[in-house]
Amino acid sequence: MSEIVTERDSVIDARAAAIRDEQLHARRVRVDRMFVWLFLLQYAAGIVGALTVSPYAWEGKVHTIHLHVWVAVIGGAGIIILPILLAIFRPGTTLTRHVIAASQMLSSALLIHLTGGRIETHFHVFGSLAFLAFYLDWKALITATVVVAGDHFLRGIFWPESVYGVANPEWWRFLEHAGWVAFEDVFLIWACVMGRREIAESASRQAQVEHLSELEQLKSAALEMAMSELQVASA
Amino acid sequence: MKRRALITTSLVVAGLIWTGTVGAMYQAVRRFETTPGRGASGTTMWPVRSRIVPERNRWTLVMLIHPHCSCTRASLQELERIIEMSGPSLQTYVLVYRPSDFQEGWEKTETFEAAKRLQRAHVLVDPDGREARLFGGFTSGQTFLYDGEGALRFAGGVTSLRGHAGVNRGSMDVVDIVRARARQGTHPVFGCAIVTTESEQRQ
Repeated sequence: MSEIVTERDSVIDARAAAIRDEQLHARRVRVDRMFVWLFLLQYAAGIVGALTVSPYAWEGKVHTIHLHVWVAVIGGAGIIILPILLAIFRPGTTLTRHVIAASQMLSSALLIHLTGGRIETHFHVFGSLAFLAFYLDWKALITATVVVAGDHFLRGIFWPESVYGVANPEWWRFLEHAGWVAFEDVFLIWACVMGRREIAESASRQAQVEHLSELEQLKSAALEMAMSELQVASA
Repeated sequence: MKRRALITTSLVVAGLIWTGTVGAMYQAVRRFETTPGRGASGTTMWPVRSRIVPERNRWTLVMLIHPHCSCTRASLQELERIIEMSGPSLQTYVLVYRPSDFQEGWEKTETFEAAKRLQRAHVLVDPDGREARLFGGFTSGQTFLYDGEGALRFAGGVTSLRGHAGVNRGSMDVVDIVRARARQGTHPVFGCAIVTTESEQRQ
């Protein structure tokens, strides 16, 4: 009897896992598509921003196209080409998620640069982390955080004024900046774990309902067969 | 099978472009932002031929700007902070470059308006950068600070990089000098060229 119960449970668990994976995959494909549009929107915004804020570099009365415009057009395209292709041809995969997470943070860095390091543009990083949490995959948030910390760490070494405004910041200053990102991460990771748990519970309930429904169908089929045999016998 | 190979190849190429672009972009932006403009080669005293007459016994700050230089907005933001922190002992002049063969109004950009909004600052148009030459400045954002005796105490920029406002040695030096906490200072200047080698030769 207990063997039958264990076998039944393992069948339900396997079905629940399949439903959970299916739902997570469908959700992640949707989020990948959302990021394709977001990348295109950010790309356009970067170009419009560069053309509005700094279209030309001047030398006296002679002007040339400003480096920011080239960076927005070529650099912006370079950043989004891989994640967009992955989202189209490899949607829902782990690699796609992590490349999207890294590219989204690079897009933040680009927008921050194009707006001359405006503090307001730094909010893009925090908004992006929230979008990445839609994947319900905390590892994608870690990738994004590593990219932000790595960007600050490397620039802090080779180009400190661009991040901290001073030429000789303390070596640990990148940790202070990354610390605020990590602060948000804690809550987003918790939200991801809870979200996954809710999906798993819902999948488990669905698997049980399906199993019960299958049992009911089997029972009614057996009942119908018994009835028809009875009718044949009575005839 | 062929389509699969094509997609894989495209993704590998995109991956290479992605890596290359990120590296090249960082390098290009770094070079752009950290390369200073031509530093001043000014005299150590107030240029007597200047049409600006400084008040004796007061600090006089002169900033040269190119009205179309987007990086100069950061210099003006820093100048605003310097004016606030230095108090009324500082009189400020912003000289706005305009080529004389360009139509009037060419200089009236957002940067020009930002300069006009500065408190206690006089904004003057500098045709062909004549005043800039007298002061020995070549780059937008170039700042000169003279003491009450007309001696040059600071020459340089007031931003840490091209187009980056924020705490930096240049603006701190200016404030420190006015507050008698430092004697002299200099700092690289970041911005578009006002006086180019070509225009200099023509003069």
